[in-house]
Amino acid sequence: MAESKSDPNKVWPTGLTEAESEEIHRNVIQGTQIFGFIAVLAHLFAYIYSPWLK
Amino acid sequence: MIYGKLWLVVKPTVGIPLFLSAVAISSFLVHYMLLTHTTWMPKYYEGNMKKTASIEAPASIAAAPPTTLVAAAPATK
Repeated sequence: MAESKSDPNKVWPTGLTEAESEEIHRNVIQGTQIFGFIAVLAHLFAYIYSPWLK
Repeated sequence: MIYGKLWLVVKPTVGIPLFLSAVAISSFLVHYMLLTHTTWMPKYYEGNMKKTASIEAPASIAAAPPTTLVAAAPATK
């Protein structure tokens, strides 16, 4: 893997390419969505099956 | 994707742990503040507080049997 500062696709200060940045961001967004979905589900179950707010 | 170029300026090795710890700390703080500032959250975390059937107070019992007898009128056809 040739890594050099002369690579025209790399952007500094991080040294990632735009495609790499987009790929990381897709995963961050997907992780956030899955986390949010599980959190909503957990709150829903807690509300239904516990004396929470009752 | 919107903000997809974020990781060109923020190092993922810094930004991702920062983001995850911000989520963890803020969600902990929200739950902790609910625990300390509400009445229902401590009860909920205490658990095992389901309301049991309360014993009903006995209905009023006659202290003594009636002293007078009232004759019922005979049934008429």
